[in-house]
Amino acid sequence: MSHGEPAPRQRPGLAKIFLAFLRIGSTGFGGSSVGWLYRGIVVRRRWIDDATFLSILAVGQALPGANGLKASVQIGRHLHGPLGATAALLGLLSGPFVIILVVAGFYRRLGDYRIVHAVLDGMAAGAIGLTFDTGLKSAVQGAPGPAALAIVAATVLAVGVLRWPMLPVLLVLAPLGVALALVQRRH
Amino acid sequence: MRSPLAALAIVFVPLSLMSFGGSNAVVADIEHQTVAVHQWMSGREFADFFALSRAAPGPGSMLTAVIGWKVAGLPGALVATLGLYVPAAVLVYLSARLWDRWRGSAWHAAIERGLAPVAAGLLLSGGIAVLRSSPGGLGIWLAAGAATAVLWRWPRLPPLAVIAGGGALFGMVGALAP
Repeated sequence: MSHGEPAPRQRPGLAKIFLAFLRIGSTGFGGSSVGWLYRGIVVRRRWIDDATFLSILAVGQALPGANGLKASVQIGRHLHGPLGATAALLGLLSGPFVIILVVAGFYRRLGDYRIVHAVLDGMAAGAIGLTFDTGLKSAVQGAPGPAALAIVAATVLAVGVLRWPMLPVLLVLAPLGVALALVQRRH
Repeated sequence: MRSPLAALAIVFVPLSLMSFGGSNAVVADIEHQTVAVHQWMSGREFADFFALSRAAPGPGSMLTAVIGWKVAGLPGALVATLGLYVPAAVLVYLSARLWDRWRGSAWHAAIERGLAPVAAGLLLSGGIAVLRSSPGGLGIWLAAGAATAVLWRWPRLPPLAVIAGGGALFGMVGALAP
């Protein structure tokens, strides 16, 4: 890409879509793949604009799945229909898939060393800290108010502490949360 | 006796459609199914693989690939990974087509807001599940609490630095211990 003039917005082919998402998927460390998608697709490649990106994020909010995955499928669809969505999904998953299997292969050879388990315990503690931090922040920002926090606490109690199966818990608490949001909206 | 590939699909496909807030939201259930129900691996292995998968790149956790690989080699890894990601992908693809009809409706906003506390609770439960599964003892609980506090206090800190820092700290303690 030449510097100085803005590149024209173009419709990339399937191979280009796959490679772009392969690169983003393989470098998006730390679970912030939405940030990497924004930089890679909107800022660097200019395949979609900011408004489209934001509306794409919004569609995914109420659906299951990782945010990066949901955004990738929709960006791929936007660029090249169902095949584009498939190319984006496979591109996003391929890199991490190969990397984790290589890493797991090393683990199998080194797993007998006590020091390896010590290092992995420390890494797990950091990773669990990241999970807790994300959960706490989204509870404070995405679910303000005592009633919403009660639903957070009920979910933690049922799934995390009492280890009840997730599906029945979701079938009770999810409609409760939506009903609560509807009531709050009315007041 | 059911084939291992079918067992993997039966575990991961429903989890895909329950993974509100990302695949890390279903870690609690993945742990339960993998360690207790199917006994595909020990709690020690699960905690180790969780750590590895969180340090590796990816849209969420590639923990699923490692579990599938442990159960049935490369085909297992493919079935488990596609099982956890494809159903959610298909659902978002179909929903994107309905989005214009829904835009701005009270229902959409209510679902978005109403699921937020459940998603947050599932994330926290996933962290607790890994802690319970790990044989690391009190040390790992305290370290996880400290890592949470550090990330809460310094939100701009790269998460990978905290994960690597935890590994380095425990590695040093482990090397010095008799």
